Amino acid sequence: MKFIRVNMNEKIITVEDVPQDYMGLGGRGLTSIMINQEVPPKCDPLGPENKLIFAPGLLSGTLLPNTSRISVGAKSPLTGGIKESNAGGTASAALGRLGITAVVIEGQAPEGELSFLRIDEKGNASLIPAQEYKGMRTYRLVEKILKSYGEKTSVLCIGPAGEYRLATASIQSSDVDDHPCRAAARGGLGAVMGAKGLKALIVDQRGKSPDTIADPKAFREAVRAVVKIVKADHMNSEVMPKLGTAGLVAPVNSMGAFPSYNARNGVLDGWEKISGESMAELIRERGGKTTHIGCSGCIIHCSNEFVDNEGKYVTSSLEYETIWAMGGMTGIVDMDTIARLDNLCDDIGVDTMSTGVAVAVAMDAGYKAFGDGKAAIEMVEEIGKGTEFGKILGNGPAAVGKHFNHARVPVVKGQGIAAYDPRAMLGQGVTFSTSPMGADHTAGNMVGEYLERKLDPLKAEGQVEGSRSLQIAMAAFDSMGQCFMASVALLNPEGEEAFRKVINAKLGIQLGSDDFPHAMGIRVLKAEREFNRKAGFTNKDDRLPRFFYEEPLPPHNTVFIINDEEIDSTFDF
Amino acid sequence: MKVSVKLYGTLHQRFPGYQHSQGIEVEIPDGATVKDLLALLEISDPKGITVIMEGRVLKMGDTMQCGVPVNVLQTIHGG
Repeated sequence: MKFIRVNMNEKIITVEDVPQDYMGLGGRGLTSIMINQEVPPKCDPLGPENKLIFAPGLLSGTLLPNTSRISVGAKSPLTGGIKESNAGGTASAALGRLGITAVVIEGQAPEGELSFLRIDEKGNASLIPAQEYKGMRTYRLVEKILKSYGEKTSVLCIGPAGEYRLATASIQSSDVDDHPCRAAARGGLGAVMGAKGLKALIVDQRGKSPDTIADPKAFREAVRAVVKIVKADHMNSEVMPKLGTAGLVAPVNSMGAFPSYNARNGVLDGWEKISGESMAELIRERGGKTTHIGCSGCIIHCSNEFVDNEGKYVTSSLEYETIWAMGGMTGIVDMDTIARLDNLCDDIGVDTMSTGVAVAVAMDAGYKAFGDGKAAIEMVEEIGKGTEFGKILGNGPAAVGKHFNHARVPVVKGQGIAAYDPRAMLGQGVTFSTSPMGADHTAGNMVGEYLERKLDPLKAEGQVEGSRSLQIAMAAFDSMGQCFMASVALLNPEGEEAFRKVINAKLGIQLGSDDFPHAMGIRVLKAEREFNRKAGFTNKDDRLPRFFYEEPLPPHNTVFIINDEEIDSTFDF
Repeated sequence: MKVSVKLYGTLHQRFPGYQHSQGIEVEIPDGATVKDLLALLEISDPKGITVIMEGRVLKMGDTMQCGVPVNVLQTIHGG
């Protein structure tokens, strides 16, 4: 249980025991509570007062599978508010095995200076000059890092977009095959890393100094119980290994809630060409992988490896949100183009979701035609090259809307929406409006509530309560390093009880049913809301853009109908 | 009455020779419900199954309509 604090001004690295205030925290809970406590809310997100925090989940690096999410937190240059973005891959487990609770990057290197931060197998950290890697894209960068430091190395890095400090720049995370294809993508944390002068965080995977487990026997038993529940879950055992998250393309289009052509329609013409089913068939035909392990300790295998028509690697993992952003929003119904765009974004180091929405806003403004895949690739390439237009695009949908003087910009708090139109999934609109992160796809995702017939997506009743409940639960599970898929299987009394036993056995405490996920989730959300209030956010920032209230969405031809008072009651706790 | 059904997720594996472009045409009695349709498709446990017609997620007791196609899918959570 230790923090590694790195002062980028002075190049001083300090190791400290975890302070009492932060004990028992990990992942999102730790990053958000630390930022609320340590970062001046009105600071420049790209200045020295901001802090960039890497925190494995509380259970990362333990025996519990599917706990390989690493949370990255800072004040966001995209939203101006607090940000936690988490990614899969291998770094979280590697840090957990070293007993490192957080790596905190503070201050700012002199302009133009670039470093690696390396943590070796003993947990010793050092800063290494990295000028020669300036401007390098992430795939090449990771290859070079592995040549220097060995194959048992995890990498969290930025591409050119992070160095340009663009507001949608991502931090890319290497997967089990050493591809930097996982991303802490949302909110521009790559720009914060670039502003600090940090090109990569490099972690040796061979650490053998994890935190002590308070009751190892009880821990093993509790882990077995959780694994049994996760494996018994139909989605995790059947759908995820075959289609991955891309399996959502069919249900969301069938519901008329797939924001298409910059959210002008709820159904994409030709969506069957880019469905999870079509993708899996194409990958199979070409000899790629429809079932793939992307993260350390995964038992779900939701990842895939998309290959071209010669069987050559293009990208991994092609996910639902990316297929939507690069396909639905842009009207591009060609899987090869979408896969190419996914790879390009990972390589340049930008968020696929915000980039897809930004391209769609430009197309909606008349810059290029919807469906023009070649134009979309050229536009995204401009981000990598750092052209004037590339910088506008890389600063996100709102920047593009401003450039073209175009009002139809689907963002909340500056962050592009995810793959669920709020007019056809009202509760998702509540989550987009109120999440401290801005419009977010994991914070309180409602689609499962509708597909399980728990709620009618077009009726106002129950939407605020549903969003609130899921936002609380996810804030708690995001603190554990747990992936979304495994968390979903545990969102029931039996699953939560089993999960509490894991936490209790690890820490030697006795959390009760009120403590987790409820109290922990509320504690995290309160810290995030408090930071945003101090940064200047008001209830008016918890609103969707006007066109969602005014412009009916085909095919249901409905608008967003949750009133402001109800929205403002979401966090009445 | 006849209802055209399209299967998604891994459901097609239960129907050898299933061609997605054509789907399956099933004959069900007038007034048949979603539960009846699933029984006919030999899906006895509706847990994990979602049926969508004209953009609406149907409940097990909802009535099928003649000539209106339905999508039968596996429940999935987003993120």
